[in-house]
Amino acid sequence: MPLSDVWSDPNVRWVLLGCMLLGLSGGVIGSFTYIRRQSLTGDVLAHAALPGVCLAYMAIGAKSVWAFVVGAALAGWAAVLCVGLLVRRSRLKADTALAAALSVFFAFGVVLLTFIQRGEGGNVSGLDAFLFGQAATMTAGDVRAMATLSAVVLAAGVLFFKEFKLTGFDPEFARSIGFSAGRIDALLMSLVVVTVVAGIQAVGVVLMSAFLIAPAVAARCWTERFGRMVALAGVFGAVSGWAGGYAGTFSHQLPTGALAVLAASALFVLSLLFSPRCGLLARAVRRFVQRRMTRAEFRRAAVGVKKP
Amino acid sequence: MTTTESGTVAPGDVAAETEPEASPLVVRDLTAAYRGEPVLRCVNLALPEGRLIGLIGPNGAGKSTLLKAVLGLVPVLSGEVLVFGMPYRKRRRLVGYVPQRESVDWDFPTDALDVVVMGLYGRLGWFRRPGKKEREIAMECLEKVGMAAYADRQIGQLSGGQQQRVFLARALAQDARLYLMDEPFAGVDAATEKAIVGLLGELKSRGKTVVVVHHDLSTVRDYFDWVVLLNREVVAAGPTDEVFRPELLQRTYGGRLAVFRENGAPTRAEG
Amino acid sequence: MGVWRAWKTVALLAWAAVLSACSASGAAPGGATVGDRPIRATATTGMIADLVRRVGGDRVEVTALMRPGVDPHLYKASQGDLRRLERADVVFYNGLYLEGKMEKILESLGRRKAVVAVTRDIGPDRLLRVQGIGDKAQYDPHVWFDVRLWMIALDTVREELTRLDPAHADVYRRNAEAYRAELEALDRYARLRIASVPKERRVLVTAHDAFQYFGRAYDIEVRGLQGVSTAAETGTKDVTDLRDMLVRRGIKAVFVETSVPEDRIRAVIEGAAELGHRVVLGGSLYSDSTGPEGTPEGTYVGMFRHNVDAIVDALK
Repeated sequence: MPLSDVWSDPNVRWVLLGCMLLGLSGGVIGSFTYIRRQSLTGDVLAHAALPGVCLAYMAIGAKSVWAFVVGAALAGWAAVLCVGLLVRRSRLKADTALAAALSVFFAFGVVLLTFIQRGEGGNVSGLDAFLFGQAATMTAGDVRAMATLSAVVLAAGVLFFKEFKLTGFDPEFARSIGFSAGRIDALLMSLVVVTVVAGIQAVGVVLMSAFLIAPAVAARCWTERFGRMVALAGVFGAVSGWAGGYAGTFSHQLPTGALAVLAASALFVLSLLFSPRCGLLARAVRRFVQRRMTRAEFRRAAVGVKKP
Repeated sequence: MTTTESGTVAPGDVAAETEPEASPLVVRDLTAAYRGEPVLRCVNLALPEGRLIGLIGPNGAGKSTLLKAVLGLVPVLSGEVLVFGMPYRKRRRLVGYVPQRESVDWDFPTDALDVVVMGLYGRLGWFRRPGKKEREIAMECLEKVGMAAYADRQIGQLSGGQQQRVFLARALAQDARLYLMDEPFAGVDAATEKAIVGLLGELKSRGKTVVVVHHDLSTVRDYFDWVVLLNREVVAAGPTDEVFRPELLQRTYGGRLAVFRENGAPTRAEG
Repeated sequence: MGVWRAWKTVALLAWAAVLSACSASGAAPGGATVGDRPIRATATTGMIADLVRRVGGDRVEVTALMRPGVDPHLYKASQGDLRRLERADVVFYNGLYLEGKMEKILESLGRRKAVVAVTRDIGPDRLLRVQGIGDKAQYDPHVWFDVRLWMIALDTVREELTRLDPAHADVYRRNAEAYRAELEALDRYARLRIASVPKERRVLVTAHDAFQYFGRAYDIEVRGLQGVSTAAETGTKDVTDLRDMLVRRGIKAVFVETSVPEDRIRAVIEGAAELGHRVVLGGSLYSDSTGPEGTPEGTYVGMFRHNVDAIVDALK
């Protein structure tokens, strides 16, 4: 589809808006979890959302975004509790416990999903689309719901910006001046859950964590200022979402969610290669320049010695 | 009538207004744990105001734990801590903290000025964003530690000594009456050491109380006018001349101690 | 830890694997002669179950694996299903990859007992070809939407039941004849009613491409949002193409299916509305499964009639 037609076509417009909103919130919230070294926890919450959403559906019998948020939040909270227990009561390290919780909760979610599908009228639920997303069938109502959730997430990100920064950088100091890292953590995790539920329809549970990680890591490579990093991550996420949605208009049966993740990954790889901070290219250039400078100095020193 | 540091009267401080000046730090029968292990046993202290106080003891004596217990960073198993007569919670504005450098994520995307501004967050409270005024105050604090030129340098790119000075600047920004510093002299270069010493002097001249966890015995007499000898419990506390003596040091460091003297004064201890 | 403990663990795991394999294969197979007791038949879809029930009558006990509303393209057999399949004397399934995710199980089962694809006697010349992966021929499996093809399946079922239980061949023949008459009547009904819709409005738009045989048999144009299998993903272009067709040709009604989620077709409807063309939901059709058991739509004839009526009423 030619670029000029993209905004006038209602379905394409909805898909693009939905994916951009998803990318934006994912990038922003992902930045907060990334600098606190909690990206894996974000991933756990994304995967734990599946059983939560299934249980919410089973309880209510219909698809409701707000019920899903509640379900996903409860499941995420349960997952984090389990991880805490595992770390405290056994010799498991944090990342092992997180990986274990992720797998177990996700597996439970798949079992619930199958159970729902086998029940009467099960397929009408369309919940299987929650695994990998189905962005193409978004409607105006879906976009509105996503916009609301994204607005909440972004507002919280702005409002609590300095608190997130402080507790991420020096949690002990933060506590000493009265900002409890535990409460900030809980707030951030809640925002992750809301972001995941918002994005679950577009990219699905499995791919959601890519949006929480890739744009943030890519943005980190371009700036040392946290505020700029967050904004840049949001932009990267939105652009990836847009690219995925647009790519889906070119041929039949293209999975929009996966394309968006590919776009985000491409941005990530480009940042790794070409950014001044992480760029492999930049580093190679720097090393080359340094070597030449050192050689020149040696030469000068040797000449100096030879002088009578 | 006395007013608090920030110039306004806070509700929690009313009691202090009417009482005679409370000691900056009173510790009664404190037992505290670090990572599940009880480290401090029945610690009792009452510190005088306006002094530079050295907190001395061997490794594992609980010096850092004592500071953290005051700040509520480790659980207090029994006993109580009073800062200017009230629990720490109510006196946050009056206490400045310089933690050990290891507890921080140095890869964090923030610059020196930003770190100092964080010292003002306590004053701003939740939601309010730091503005021009806060940045100006932070800049002044950076100047006081000689780091003004590095204001926009990412903190991971600073040397150990420079990082320490940024931390000090942050504590200065807190504009407290009591400062708690955890090994500020550890691993710093000579220039930084000089800067810190100068800063301590200035703080004292403004009537601030500073408690410093310190490991280098040879400099204790030069830096501190009050000393607390700690080894899980308080061995002795008092003015440096009275307390910083070989017998008491031996007791603190557990007997296996070689004390090197220079002109009759202990300069180094190895245990 | 020690080597001995490691070996014990390995042995334990291996033993558990062997045990679970044994339980999967179940109790003694029901391959013995049937004699006087009713034949135990297991069918995959509700339509097939209904067919077998009508032909077998009292002589057959039929169990359907897939409940109403379940999508056979995505259905994966559970442990309980495996037991039901093992206990059966004969298994009837659709074939042509309708039960896409059960192929392996049915294949391995077929080596040990009677496993019959009811479509096996339908010649390739009467089947509709579909875009397959590679050069392997793939056919559209939704043959039950052409009553004439379903009558061929009827014969297949009768043959198999007779082969298993020759003593009651007469019963099966009589039942089959009676049911064939019903199917003939159904075929005529469908033909007449569809023909009553004016040609230019005779377009059936549904969520997935299940109705190609229906379209061919009863002269109605058919379009689906998804391809032949619901397992494929719907892309943005699929949505926009279908929506543009609805707008271009002024089609007034689209249909949802009981076994496929509604939100997919809803995006098409809302998109068309944004472009100024109003499309209504003509109703819910039974495509890959029957209606609830016990209702008229729970039978093949019942669901077929319901579909025809819904389509005609909405399009007229």
